[in-house]
Amino acid sequence: MPVDVGALTDFTEGGFRVVRVDGDEVGILLWAGTVYALRNSCPHQLGPLCEGRIRPLLTASAPGKPSLDTGTPVVSCPWHGWEFDARTGSSLWDARYRVRQVQTRVTRGRVLLDLPAHARRRASA
Amino acid sequence: MSTPASDHRQISPGAARPRPRKRAYRGPIVDCDVHHNWSSHQVLHPYLSAPWREFVLGPGRQGNIPLTAAGFFSVPNGNGREDTVPESGEPAGTDLELMRAQLLDPYGIERALLTYGDGLFGISGLTNPYLATDVARAANDWTAERWLAPEPRLFGSILVANQLPLEAATEIRRWAGNSRMAQVIMAGSGLGKPLGHPVYDPIYKAAVESGVAVAIHIGGQGGTQPFSTGGGPVNFYFEYHALLLQPLLTHLVSLIAHGVFEKFPDLRVMLLECGVAWLPGILWRLDADYRSMRREIPWVKRLPSEYFMERCRVSTQPLEQSPRRAQLIQLLEAMNGRDVLCFSSDYPHWDTDDPDYIASRIPSDWWPSVYHANACKFYGWPQDVSASGPREAAHAG
Repeated sequence: MPVDVGALTDFTEGGFRVVRVDGDEVGILLWAGTVYALRNSCPHQLGPLCEGRIRPLLTASAPGKPSLDTGTPVVSCPWHGWEFDARTGSSLWDARYRVRQVQTRVTRGRVLLDLPAHARRRASA
Repeated sequence: MSTPASDHRQISPGAARPRPRKRAYRGPIVDCDVHHNWSSHQVLHPYLSAPWREFVLGPGRQGNIPLTAAGFFSVPNGNGREDTVPESGEPAGTDLELMRAQLLDPYGIERALLTYGDGLFGISGLTNPYLATDVARAANDWTAERWLAPEPRLFGSILVANQLPLEAATEIRRWAGNSRMAQVIMAGSGLGKPLGHPVYDPIYKAAVESGVAVAIHIGGQGGTQPFSTGGGPVNFYFEYHALLLQPLLTHLVSLIAHGVFEKFPDLRVMLLECGVAWLPGILWRLDADYRSMRREIPWVKRLPSEYFMERCRVSTQPLEQSPRRAQLIQLLEAMNGRDVLCFSSDYPHWDTDDPDYIASRIPSDWWPSVYHANACKFYGWPQDVSASGPREAAHAG
């Protein structure tokens, strides 16, 4: 059973909004018109990742030559600064190391989370 | 009446080392750190260019090249292992026959990399960078003529004065194509900056283009060089020796942070004489810090430990002497020791690691890799080096 977390118009482009669903915190991001959601828990030390700032990806064309990739939103954990792609939850140093993603969809202007089965069970208990 | 100290000597100077009692590992060995030395600076005079030879031989110098950096510690028990001092009384590491008798022959050393003595430790501290450049060139010619030509098991390291990186690059390229010169070697940082600083890029570029590795050896600090210890200069050689890994630690971190391994994808770096047990700790720390601070060095594209594992190798000596063997092995396993360690004896220095001792400290199934295969792969040598054909004469092109 999907969980309705609000109208799409309630979300601000480019920032996370953290919602609590039966004890689980989920950060919901509206980026370039698409909704993404991550668990609000950094895999490092369980810091509130989605409360961190979203910045464009700071990259480099060569040593000493930094550049910006404004098309890639990066969230930095407010505790230790670990960086993840805010859309996918993948860490910047290893795509296999990631924050758990939550599936989202927008139906009739409402943002819906498709929570894992165990969360749904808790939500319905 | 007191007994003269010399009566108590157990080992005569210059004695050939007796064949070891029972050798655990009998396979081929590549020794990555063997210090050859000149008996005095006089031997370099014929190899210096005429103007600098005139300067060195002129008034006030008496033939002396100021190679030993001021402030370098005198080793309390002597720098050379007592039995490696030739009968002539010349410094340890000056006698090829003795090196054959004590190291190459009894242990079946298939190849050994020569890494200099006070030339290595003093070159980057020589205050006159133009003289230093000429001394390095002369030293390399001397090595090729006096050591590599008569002994095919020996391979050279291209000594450079990194005070002038462009001139150092020229010296590296002078040896390009000569397979008897296997690597560039540096110890101190001649410009007072850690060795990842881009000012040294010409050296790495020349090494890569010449197809040789770069070895960074401990030492070379003091005098005009940064102190060898963070926190300030120490007072005793005891302290210096325990802390001598510090400059290499700095250089390794600098190479990674400045993206040198990204700039030069074919660069291979050998860390010499810094011990090994400290590496897991710094690699763990670097990876953790990278996850937090990647933004500051966005040109570093991978975890620091990945660069190390792929591009660096480290010589075994002086292998840390853990109270229990298993403690050390656990640490070495954490840094892929089987794949990154390369045997080195550090002959003829006082803190030499005997090949048989190393065998007693690492797992036996690591022996073929650590004693031989890792170094062969690193230097681009065939695993069966005896089948590699005749070796060309060792002289610069």
